[in-house]
Amino acid sequence: MKILVCVKQVPDSAETLSINDAPPRIIYGDASVFRMNRYDEFALEEALLTRERFPDCTVDAVSVGPQRVRSTIRKALEMGADQGIHILVESGEYVSPLARASLIAEYARSRSYDLVLAGIMAEDDMEFQVGQVLAELMGLPCATSVMLQEMDRMRGTVYVEREIEGGDRECLTIALPAVLTIQSGMNTPRYPSLSNVLRARRQDLVTIDPPQRWPGRETQLITALSYPDAGSPGNFLEGSTVDKARGLIRILHEHSLL
Amino acid sequence: MYTHVYIIALHAQGKIAPETYEAVSFARDLGAEKKTILVLGTLPQVEHMARELAERTGIAVTGAVAENLGHYSAEAYKSTIRTLIEGTSPFALCIPHTAAGYDFAPGLATALEVPCITAVEGLSEGSFIRSLFGGKIRAHVKPSTPSCVVTVLPGAWQAPAATQGSAPDVTIVPAEARQETTVPLGLKRAAARDIGFADAEVIVSVGRGIGSPQNLSLIRDLAALFPKSAIGATRAVCDLGWLGYRHQIGSTGTTVSPRAYIACGISGAIQHLSGMRNSQVIIAINTDPHAAIFRVASCCIVEDLTTFIPVVIDEYTKRS
Repeated sequence: MKILVCVKQVPDSAETLSINDAPPRIIYGDASVFRMNRYDEFALEEALLTRERFPDCTVDAVSVGPQRVRSTIRKALEMGADQGIHILVESGEYVSPLARASLIAEYARSRSYDLVLAGIMAEDDMEFQVGQVLAELMGLPCATSVMLQEMDRMRGTVYVEREIEGGDRECLTIALPAVLTIQSGMNTPRYPSLSNVLRARRQDLVTIDPPQRWPGRETQLITALSYPDAGSPGNFLEGSTVDKARGLIRILHEHSLL
Repeated sequence: MYTHVYIIALHAQGKIAPETYEAVSFARDLGAEKKTILVLGTLPQVEHMARELAERTGIAVTGAVAENLGHYSAEAYKSTIRTLIEGTSPFALCIPHTAAGYDFAPGLATALEVPCITAVEGLSEGSFIRSLFGGKIRAHVKPSTPSCVVTVLPGAWQAPAATQGSAPDVTIVPAEARQETTVPLGLKRAAARDIGFADAEVIVSVGRGIGSPQNLSLIRDLAALFPKSAIGATRAVCDLGWLGYRHQIGSTGTTVSPRAYIACGISGAIQHLSGMRNSQVIIAINTDPHAAIFRVASCCIVEDLTTFIPVVIDEYTKRS
């Protein structure tokens, strides 16, 4: 059995980012530190837990992006993935969910994965899309916001519970192969083990060069980037820590809460 | 410039999801000449819901009925909607950005070979506005195709006021919903989460900015100043196991509206805001002056919780 996990590299904090106006793009400051998207950590952990249940299982981790994303793929190996695949997209420009999913589909299509996992969303672009688009491109069923999955290999299905509004869960079974997008809190992502860290250091990543023109590259464009309007009635308390503490107590008092 | 837009109504247990009406307001703001609402399900619920939608919005409604539309499934929704809109060239399909909406919208768009623009919270000169990086940056996105699928962020538009006058007709059509790879098995309700949110006048809520679970005692001490208080948390704090999921406030947790909400170390991700933005007074304490939470707070305090909360407690004790 083969599992593919889509992992995205994101900046650790938005503090180090700024905006370039023309062309509109995000500038990652020199102090930027990159790491794996947290939702993808849950997806990877779920793949590794599945491999523990089914010893014939292998787990591949794939990421689309420039050279720097290799550190995130390596992190996936350190956590326990068997193989790391880097789809190299050199430019730091915006890659739409359709383009990203197309590149992954191109790689995955001929490799008969039984299960493809991804985080429900990426912390940077917050689009909630790559898993669903990938499923559609590969002609596979998909469930999002998954909090529980149990594979039934005899039947070739997976039982899934998806978390919806208010914490309720929608239950369904879908046919394998399938794509699942994982909600945070589904499991506890592990720390890398020393043996996996050593293995990851030696192991080569598979590097895939994308075609000159990728499908979906230009279907949506970012025309501008901006900082949100300050437009809140927000009143910033000024002064020393003690002044602010007194200000807060006064406000709570005015509202008869203290 | 816009011609025809569709709004896909979402529902649970025979009730229209309120986010559907917000998507209707969004569709109105697009300025489309023709609008159609689609609602998918089984009889007799679809007919009731179609009438309610038509009466409340004054927009023509098509109800699609198939036996296997009794429970939501992405597969059935995608195939049914494709058939319903066949032959029309809509400018946009507007779908609420809920757990069902974002489940099928991207796949539907892909099948239609149009882009999907998700979690849209504003419009500007023909572009859709959406948040990046937890709300720190806003992107203006434009489809480069004549059609697109848009998911509308809950809470970004207000539901329209009920329309006066006679409601337009509703059309009920039989549908053929594909259901080959999915078997929906129904809903499991969340375990009771009551930790006194409903009775609390003040909710002191904590985010990752608290730094470590050891600092939670500060939050408890702050909450203890108020006669009726409860402790809330962001999803991230619950995911880390620092507090149980019963404390979670936000789109997949509890929605609260206390007299005062004190957000401690909460950045203000949209999923959290949707669960607390109707609180009467919102006070936010965060070290980052650009945190998104400050845009919904009426009282903003840029301080480190570990130094600030002890000072508040000290000042209050001195006073009383």
